[in-house]
Amino acid sequence: MTAAVVALAAAGLTLLVSVTNFINFAYGDFMTFGAYAAFAANAAGLNFFLAVVVGGIATAALGVLANLAVFRPLVRRRARVLTLLIAAIGLSFIVQNVIVVVWGTGAQRYSVDLGRASRFGPFVLTPGDAALIVTAFLLLVLLHLMLQYTTFGRSLRATSNNSDLAQACGIDTSRVITSTWIIGGFLSAVAGVGLALETNTLRPTVGFNELFVVFGAIILGGIGRVYGAMVGALIVGVLTEVSGMYLDPAYKGSFAFAVVILLLLLRPQGLFAALGKSD
Amino acid sequence: MAYFLLDLLALGCINAIMVVGLNLQYGYAGVLNFTYYTFVALGAYVAAVTTMGAPPTNFGVEHYALQWALPWPVGLLLAGTAAAVAGLLMLLLTIRRLRSDYLAIVTVSVGFIVWNFITNYIPLFDGSNGIFGIPYILNGAGVDEPTYTAEILAIAAMILAGCLWVSWRIFRSPFGRVLRAVREDEIVAESFGKDTRAAKIWVFVIGSFMAGVAGGLLAFYLTAWSPAAFLPEESFILFAALVIGGSGNYWGALVGAFVIIELLSEISRYLPSFGHASVIGAGRAILIGVVLILILQFRPEGMLPERRLRWYRARALPTGPAQGAPPAGTGALTAAPLDPSMGAGGMPATGEYRSAGARDRLRAIFRRDLG
Repeated sequence: MTAAVVALAAAGLTLLVSVTNFINFAYGDFMTFGAYAAFAANAAGLNFFLAVVVGGIATAALGVLANLAVFRPLVRRRARVLTLLIAAIGLSFIVQNVIVVVWGTGAQRYSVDLGRASRFGPFVLTPGDAALIVTAFLLLVLLHLMLQYTTFGRSLRATSNNSDLAQACGIDTSRVITSTWIIGGFLSAVAGVGLALETNTLRPTVGFNELFVVFGAIILGGIGRVYGAMVGALIVGVLTEVSGMYLDPAYKGSFAFAVVILLLLLRPQGLFAALGKSD
Repeated sequence: MAYFLLDLLALGCINAIMVVGLNLQYGYAGVLNFTYYTFVALGAYVAAVTTMGAPPTNFGVEHYALQWALPWPVGLLLAGTAAAVAGLLMLLLTIRRLRSDYLAIVTVSVGFIVWNFITNYIPLFDGSNGIFGIPYILNGAGVDEPTYTAEILAIAAMILAGCLWVSWRIFRSPFGRVLRAVREDEIVAESFGKDTRAAKIWVFVIGSFMAGVAGGLLAFYLTAWSPAAFLPEESFILFAALVIGGSGNYWGALVGAFVIIELLSEISRYLPSFGHASVIGAGRAILIGVVLILILQFRPEGMLPERRLRWYRARALPTGPAQGAPPAGTGALTAAPLDPSMGAGGMPATGEYRSAGARDRLRAIFRRDLG
């Protein structure tokens, strides 16, 4: 369950990182924004699944806007990566607090019935969880097909590998970057809805709190590698669920952060460096 | 009114010490420490527990470690030292292995873990309750508030002057030149035989020391400190102040601290109040984000840009090979790897990015060494 959500978010974030070459601190707030947009659409009377799609589209639009207004001008000026990081944190502040202004800090709930929970061995699943896992799986397969077999997927991989070379080959890299923001935004929104469903509460900090779990997943998978991120998400997702049983709940929040630090120090290239694409 | 101004000035001086320290880390050496305020908090706690003695009895039960009753200047020194040691530890662990943007992620993580630990582990600094009833320094409890504010202002102003002096000395020393070179392009600086890691670590430790001292002063002034006082966004407000004021320039740090932080904390009184209580804080955060992004877009050097030292201009050497024969010694520079596209794709986690302008800026920095 956690793994499915993290896998979606991690796939989106790692795509973005590989193409834009900086780590987007605002991504967690994109997840939150998507979840809230879906919540608003659902509250307006839309069918839940349609509402999720609306949330995805809204977040994709937000991503494109963020790229146009904030990041593209900075990249054009060849600003330092640290400048992009600071700008991303500024964006994260803006998105998170606009959500606070519009919806308040209180917890919201989706009006959707997840169905009765049933047990499968050690796991407790509701039909809603199952639907979410299936959705995540389908989206990831779709992403895989797109990356491997379409022209767009190829140009995306080329851009992420070496954007100057891709540009020299006639690939419109700025279009690729825009499209990546769309994909990343959409995936983040679905992941955000999943996060909110998981705890059945929606707060303005839900995405930001989960961001470091997603970081853990993409670092584990090797930053910029989509399939690595999916596997990394599976591992981190299972780890966080298992650690929840053994850790003092007071310190549970630190777990993901500790994992991120340890991974960066011990194995910054990810678990699958040798199997991935060449650098 | 006079008291209001006095209060603004005292807090402004304390904030300015923090921003000047942050300027050493980010503006001078380019180390992005997103958890700078954690060091401030550490200083505040250490200053409190080393000077308070046994817990005051009139506020209920307090638990904290040490309970020393040292004189306050020693407490401030210890606060700075504790923050410096913490900064040293963090950097020693990470700097050898990590590129600067990954280091930034680690700093955020460290900050959260420390916050989580201090909040939940009561015997250390009384957990989420925090430490309160810190006695007035200098003259005990008898003094009235405005007088105390004036005293704190005097101490803070003196320490601030000291910090500015240190910044000035570092800026114009060979050490400062190495730092700027590291910031622009670490690999090239290293190929000049400079010990870039030692330079980064040293300046980071000095910056952390300033953070700790500022934290100690803040604890003495506010007479209380708790986890609610060092939420992650506080570091970010300092960054906003530094970037807007002008990173790399200690006067810019000073201006940023006074103008931005004061403005932001005062402006929230005049924002229209509607809806729920959290709107004011949220509005302030949105404002910080917007102003910061606008500055990064339209005036990335800030209000007061980093200065070029005078002798750079006096020696009117050509700035690039296109303008004539390069001065002797630039061969090492042009031979260094300066490929701007490096790091695309799989993104190696060590090594630095470099920008097209970095080469020229490096030339300017090292011109004296070359000539």
